[in-house]
Amino acid sequence: MSQDISIWTTEALAVFAKEWRCELRTGYALNTLGLFAITTLVVMSISLGHLGIASTEPTTVLPVLLWILLLFAVSAGLPRAFVFEEESQTAIALRLSARPSSLFCGKLAYSFSVVLALEIIVTPLFLTLMHLKIETMPVLLFALVAGGYGLAAGGTLVAAIIAQARSSTTLFSVLALPVLLPLLVLAIEITRSAVAGDPAPIASRQLLLYDGSVTIAGLLLFPAVWNP
Amino acid sequence: MALQSPVSLSFQGLYRNFGRLAVLRDISGSVSAGEILLVTGANGSGKSTLLKCLAGLLAPDLGSIKYWEVGQEFTTAERRLRLGYAAPDLSFYDELTAEENLDFFARMRRCPTQRPRELLDRVDLPGGRMGHALSSGMRQRLRWCWALLHRPRLLLLDEPFQNLDEPGCRAATQLLEEHLANGAAVVANPGALDLPYVTRHLNLDN
Repeated sequence: MSQDISIWTTEALAVFAKEWRCELRTGYALNTLGLFAITTLVVMSISLGHLGIASTEPTTVLPVLLWILLLFAVSAGLPRAFVFEEESQTAIALRLSARPSSLFCGKLAYSFSVVLALEIIVTPLFLTLMHLKIETMPVLLFALVAGGYGLAAGGTLVAAIIAQARSSTTLFSVLALPVLLPLLVLAIEITRSAVAGDPAPIASRQLLLYDGSVTIAGLLLFPAVWNP
Repeated sequence: MALQSPVSLSFQGLYRNFGRLAVLRDISGSVSAGEILLVTGANGSGKSTLLKCLAGLLAPDLGSIKYWEVGQEFTTAERRLRLGYAAPDLSFYDELTAEENLDFFARMRRCPTQRPRELLDRVDLPGGRMGHALSSGMRQRLRWCWALLHRPRLLLLDEPFQNLDEPGCRAATQLLEEHLANGAAVVANPGALDLPYVTRHLNLDN
């Protein structure tokens, strides 16, 4: 049993390391996500934030904008996770080498690390440019980590489902909506609590439950959508 | 046969359609250790489709595929991870070198760390060459390395000698002969090359 876990971990880590090695050589996901996020953030700040007209209700509006920004940035980059493997025909070698569960977890770990990197860059910029003050920082950090994981897990699952479809980008938007909507509602609520100084215990538990459910659903569904 | 042989593959009554187009119709065959099953037929007769079905990359609409190693039968998911496969549509990562590509798959397949280097030397392929900079012949050599990385008992080879120059063909033939000491192979479209140990022949035109 422990040997199986060790083998599985080695495989998942190999996928994770391969993804980052390819990413660092091409910069595809980081450039796409980063450019999209920064451009949108600048537009938002000029229109609504510190550089323009300040929102009359920052507590209500700005957390929504933060998560919409993160969602769209992720949507611009994460669908490529499996589509790229299909388009470049490397999916065949992966199917014949990797167990689906370790492949899914390796891809998920990579997606999560990309989302975290995006959040590390975007969130301080957003808070500064939009002049948003956070009362309870640990709650915001929880929202970013748990919400970011949910975005990565939901995005990876949908990316796997759409990989073999022809209009994959359109399909990603359609399928991602019902999968990611509950996550966004919860993440926005927790972020609002962080701004207001509330702990948001119920929404936090629900978000953890969502993350666990999407991970389990991904592990169960992935072999069926990945293999013929 | 299944219990005695180190490896055995048999398939019965395979059917595979693509929409209304029937590509495979009632195809049966088998192969055991030390043997090559040669699959021939005209273009579009279903050779590549058959190999994909045997590899577990396509599910047949009807029929059964059984795979044993030393008497133990394996499921499709297990067979997929155990066999070696080389075909024209098999590609590798352009952003990685030839050796990095093999290293990655060696980790996935739990092979000894020196195995990729050993195979690269056998086919005389420069391991430091980036994937996007490999010529078509070099890519074919890399496919051979990848197929043999985990010392599979069964090799499925589709157009295995395409784009290979004479030394490449010699190296590949030698690797195939060594494989057949303990393993079996199904080969489609071998070109004009004389293959050793061809003991079974499946013509898909019939």
